[in-house]
Order: sequence, then structure tokens, then C-alpha cells
Amino acid sequence: MRVVVFIVYLAVCAAFVGITGAADVFLEATRPDFEKIPIGVLGFQGKTAVAGSAEQVATVLKADLRRSQIFSLMDLPKLGIKVNDAEDPEKALFKQATENGISVLVWGKLGVKEADVVLDGYVYDGGNDEVVAGKRYAGPSSVLRLMVHRLADELVFRYTGEPGIARTKIAFVSEQTGSRELYVMDYDGYAPRQVTADGFLNLMPHWSPDRRFLVFTAYRSRTTQDIDMIELATGKRWTLVSLGGLNITPAFSPDGNDLVFATSHDGDSELYKLDTRTKVLQRLTNNSASDLSPSWSPTGREIAFTSDRGGGPQIYLMSADGSNVRRLTYEGDYNAAPAWSPRGTWIAHVCRTPTKEYKLCVVSPDGQQRRQLTTGPGVDDSPSWSPDGRHLAFSSTAEGKSHIYMINSDGTDLERLTSGGTHHSSPSWSPL
Amino acid sequence: MHTRYVTACLMGAVSLMLLIGPACSKKEIQATSGSKSSERPMAKTDRADSGTAARPEPGISEQDLLKPGKGPSAENLPGDIKVAKVQPSDSTSRIAEDIRREQVATAASGLKDVYFAFDSWNITEEARQALTADAEWIKANPTSMLKIEGHCDERGTQAYNLVLGEKRAKAVRNYLAELGVVANRLAVVSYGKERPFCKERDESCYQQNRRGHIVVRTK
Repeated sequence: MRVVVFIVYLAVCAAFVGITGAADVFLEATRPDFEKIPIGVLGFQGKTAVAGSAEQVATVLKADLRRSQIFSLMDLPKLGIKVNDAEDPEKALFKQATENGISVLVWGKLGVKEADVVLDGYVYDGGNDEVVAGKRYAGPSSVLRLMVHRLADELVFRYTGEPGIARTKIAFVSEQTGSRELYVMDYDGYAPRQVTADGFLNLMPHWSPDRRFLVFTAYRSRTTQDIDMIELATGKRWTLVSLGGLNITPAFSPDGNDLVFATSHDGDSELYKLDTRTKVLQRLTNNSASDLSPSWSPTGREIAFTSDRGGGPQIYLMSADGSNVRRLTYEGDYNAAPAWSPRGTWIAHVCRTPTKEYKLCVVSPDGQQRRQLTTGPGVDDSPSWSPDGRHLAFSSTAEGKSHIYMINSDGTDLERLTSGGTHHSSPSWSPL
Repeated sequence: MHTRYVTACLMGAVSLMLLIGPACSKKEIQATSGSKSSERPMAKTDRADSGTAARPEPGISEQDLLKPGKGPSAENLPGDIKVAKVQPSDSTSRIAEDIRREQVATAASGLKDVYFAFDSWNITEEARQALTADAEWIKANPTSMLKIEGHCDERGTQAYNLVLGEKRAKAVRNYLAELGVVANRLAVVSYGKERPFCKERDESCYQQNRRGHIVVRTK
């Protein structure tokens, strides 16, 4: 029965989004036997100066819970459970929910205290048969969504012991102002904030592990390229790498000490490692082909990268000191832009399909398992994992203009995060 | 339904940003309460004082409504990422003016661009003819400085196209050097697929974008 339901779910997803592939292999990012926790959102009462806020709170919370992949959202009205009188739910309501297989209920209220919005959230746990959490968040109405995300993260943490991702951010490139500049938005596509305003070209942002900085390629003089670093909280910016030629695809090691990047300052594109403390520069690759797009394993011991030393671009692995190089991908004549998952189990990348579309694939680091995640028209690029390893952000031209999308690591639940008629690309998901 | 809601809200946020963004000329930086904003120029990864430790979001206070000690709390979770308002700069108009001057000078020179096959940086026979004429102009204008831009179509990854664009630009520079142009008059830059000439998705457009674009520098 469950299998049938799952298949129907996949079919609906695929039909709804149009461009995802039907998943025939289920890639659970954590535990293969994990059963989602049935949860019901009773709703939020009360009003603030912001019209519709209570409904907005419930909508944001439900979207967060759905994306967490920990919870299974139950349709309460369909089960005959009243959701509109939830400020102080009665025992009978809990009993009714538990009898309908719901493990967790969430509700709350929204109020105003002086200039602040106050959000109270309560959690009822059917296993304990008691209200196990009550949280009050207060702040200006501009951070209401963040308060809800915080409640969602509280729930994820409570039921998994792992931090949720509802308050993570995604850095990206947008052409909103006419030039390509860096932006940072909430993980659900809200509240984009502009980070650079050079008026020309900034590319491929990548987070420092402590989330305070972005590194990126900056065309400061239009003819020369540097790798710059910007501190998000202050806007302070400086140049880390200023060599001749192309200086692209910077990536910090998980401990934040080393920056690996591709530079063509001595001819063709090669990978170099900069020790950010000692400023010592070490060459990692040395051949007449192009090496680029490094991605660190979560342990920091290995690096995946793109190289065309065998002809077309393919994914290779090497130790962090440049030794022990071996080819990882053999299927297809174009595999590039690797992204090592936070748990180390997969390397996402762009793969050219037999029909010459550029789609997302994942491959295991031993090369034994491989799967295509997206299908359909358009160029998919720049896969970037969510820190919980359950999602990928990427750019795609599937709907014309390049936009940023999020997809589950098993290829389901495709969701577009950016809108409007302008170019968006190079998503980079923040660490936790 | 949900998507429409998200889209509507996002568009609202974006238009709000557009309204206040360019008009804002104050060099205002948001306060950085909560996280230690040190002067250290390097990424810091000591999780104990920058990562998972209590780092309350500015503007949000949190309290327990039940008796304390009941299970986990978001206080154990990382705080929020703060983003300072972007520093306005005058570079946008300056760059636009530089580009315009270059375009005028380049158009006046009559220099010809060259085009490439898919995923290739080989100089074709047609390109050789164009570059032969270009070399004559360059030699006849010995004070001019030039820039060769390598461009690509939208197929493939951003990063690999930047590398490909550089190979194209260098192939053009090398061929001009073979024709006797002094190589240090020729700067090389790759824009990959980041500055396309044509934004449609068909082969004629792709062909336009697989280009070695020769520019007369004006400064």
C-alpha cells in the first residue's frame, strides 16, 4: 500500500513540475528505513498590522515542514479535525488527531506587543500525550518569516537531533540591475539582498564554512579577474587571489584554512591551493589539460574536480595534496561541476545526456552508483547541496531564462526559488 | 497555489528592493549585534565562537512558555546570517561609459570578429581571413591597444565555458601573433557564457555567441 501511495506521489510530483524525472531508485539522504512523522498544523490565531499574517505563518511553517523531509503534513480538514479554533485546543482534539495517526500537532497565535510582532508556537506530541514545547518569538514584523523558520527548525531539531535548514541562505548571481551581481536570499527564495554593486560581472559565489564570507570571481577591471572575499555582515571586501588569467571556482576547505581554485596564470587552467593563514600557494594539478571546479569532501581529505585531460570534461578525485588522482565518471562524454554532498555519500554534477541536454546527475565516490536527477529541456548547472544533504539548489534554463531551483536529493519536489524576467545563476547554499 | 503565493511575495520583495536599492545613497551598514565582527580578514571556522553557539538573531527574542528544561531548544541552533546593505558605488555608470567608448572605437576600426564551432577553439578558414584583415589594421594603427574577448554559447557549465572562452581568445591572439602583431598589444579575457551577444535559444544565436570579439581599448 505504502509503495503504491509513494508511486502515486512521485507521479503527481513529476506531472506537477513537468521537468523532473520519475524516480525509480529512492536515494534517502539519511536512513533508508526512515518513516516520516505525521504532523498537523492546526493554524495560528490572531492578527497584526500585517494583513493575513496568521495565514502566512501557517503557510510558511507548512512549507518548511514539507521541505524538511522529516515530517509528513496531514490534511486536517479532510480528517474532520477543526483547524480554525486552535488557540487553546481541547483534549478531545488531541485524542481525535492521535486516533487519525497524527503524531505531532502544532498551533499558535500571533499578537502585537508595542512595535513588535509576537509569535507563540506550541507543540503537542501524541507519544507523550502532552504539550512538549511552547515558544514565544518577538521581533519587528520584517522578521516574521524568520520567526516561523525558527519554529520549524525547533521542530526538526526536536525530532531528529539535527539542525534544520529553514534559516539557511542561498547566495547567487542575478542580473537584476543590468550587470551580474551577487545576492543572498532565504533558502525558500524570499528576501533577496544585493551584496555587490560593481556594475559589471561577479561570478560563482561560495560560502566560507563559518557563513560570514563569500568568495567569488570578480571582473574588477573588465579585463582582469580576481578572487575576492566579502564579509556579509559589514560589506567589507578584499582581494584574495590576484594572478593573471582566469581565476575561477574558489572553494574553501571544510576547516576554512585552505582555498582551492582554478587559475590559468601559467597557461592552461590548473588547480591551486592557497593556505589563507600562511599565504603559501601550492599547485595541485600539473598537465596540459584544463582542471577546474574543485569540491571538497566533507572530511577535507579529498577533492573532486573537472578535468578534460582525457578529452571531454570528466569528474576526477584526488587527495587534498594533489596526489592519488583517479577518474570517477565514465558514462557520457561531458561530466562537470562536481559538488560533494555534506554526508560524503554522493557527488552531484552536471551530465550531458544522450539527447545533448545538460542535466543533474549524482555518482557515489566509488563510482559504483550513478543516477540522473533531472530530465527535460534546458541547461542545468551549478549544483549546490543543502547542509542537511536532503536538497540540491541549481540553476536551469528549463523555463527559458536561467532561474534557481531546489530539488530533493532523490529527484522529487522540484521548486523554483527565483522569479521575474531576469537571469539568475550560480546558487551556493550556506552551511549551517 | 503555493507557488503563486511564493511568486507574488517574492515579486513584492524584489520590487521593494528595486525601489529602495538604487535610491539609497547612504553608506549605511547594518549593526552586527550577536556575532563578533572582528577585523580579521580571513575566514574563521572556530565553531565555538562563530557557529553553533548561541547567536541570537537581531530583532528576535525567544522565551519558553512552558516550564524550562523541557527538551531541546532553538537556542542550541545556529543564528541567522546577516547581510549588510550593499555599498553604493559609482562604478556602474563609469563602466557603462567605458564600454560605450570601446564600442564606438571598435565600430570605427572595422575590426572583424571570428566565430567558432561548438566546443571548439580551432581558428577556421573564414576566421583566418578575418584575422588577416584585422592584423593589417592593427599594424597600421601602431598605438592602438586591443582586447580579445572569448565568448561561448549557453550549452555546458559556466565554469567550463569560462575555460573554453579563454582558449578561444588565446587562439585568436596566437594567430594574430603569427601574422606579426606584437602580442603584448593584445590583452585576453574570457567571459564564457556570461555576456552573450544574443539571448535566444537556437543554433543561429549560439553561433553568434561562440565568438572571439576584438575590441579597441580606449584606456
